[in-house]
Amino acid sequence: MTDPAPDRTAFEAEVLPQLDSLYRLALRLTTDPSRAEDLVQDTVLKAFRSWQRFQPGTNIRSWLFTILRNTFINDYRRRQREPIPMDLEAVEPHAAFKAAQDEDPEGTFFSQIVDAKVLDAIDALPEEFREVLVLSDIENLSYAEIAEVLGIPVGTVKSRLFRARRQLQEVLYDHAVEMGYIRARDRAPAKQ
Amino acid sequence: MAGGPNCVEALALLQDYLKQELTPELEDKITTHLKKCRHCFTHLQFERGFLEMLERKAKGQCCPDRLRERILAEIRNPSEA
Repeated sequence: MTDPAPDRTAFEAEVLPQLDSLYRLALRLTTDPSRAEDLVQDTVLKAFRSWQRFQPGTNIRSWLFTILRNTFINDYRRRQREPIPMDLEAVEPHAAFKAAQDEDPEGTFFSQIVDAKVLDAIDALPEEFREVLVLSDIENLSYAEIAEVLGIPVGTVKSRLFRARRQLQEVLYDHAVEMGYIRARDRAPAKQ
Repeated sequence: MAGGPNCVEALALLQDYLKQELTPELEDKITTHLKKCRHCFTHLQFERGFLEMLERKAKGQCCPDRLRERILAEIRNPSEA
């Protein structure tokens, strides 16, 4: 058997820079720091054991995210009740923008919301929306890369991303109104 | 497309535009529309503000050092870890 050291060096050079991204995705999927750490460790060890199957020059991030997500689904996903998705059909498209455009058209109120509240709101999204949002808007994967990681068509990635952003904006807008970061838009008086 | 895309088309493509997933030709058309249309440009700024906030807040979380060390130990000395 040959010395595995050169392989290990290449593995470390490719994979260690991705640990932050892996940890962030693991956190959002497990919603639990301790389980996220275990998930990242399992993912990296699996990747190490199958390193010879990684083709140099292909996308290391997609490869690692795929292993992490499969590991999550097989070993970590709790049999838990999924959050009830907001009825997005009842929410008009771009509702948060329309509500905020007069007072805060650049959406600066979003930045006033504390980090933990934003992360909680992401975690409260249904898993199928959450994973697309994280891969797209936090880890900056392309539609095609996300489709590959999740094994779904690009069109499904696009529609899930649209819905995820819409739901998150709605929740954060309502929170910003509640906290007084932005005034609620005038609503039509209730019918008698 | 004579006159370029209208607002409905521009807003429908806003998500793809922000992700830089449009063909160069379509991207140019949307850029031209956004320069001329204050309403769509404002909408673009709103979406950008949202996405920048999201990335900034979520990227504050990094892999803890103890996890990094645990992983390195496993890879480098699997029998000892």
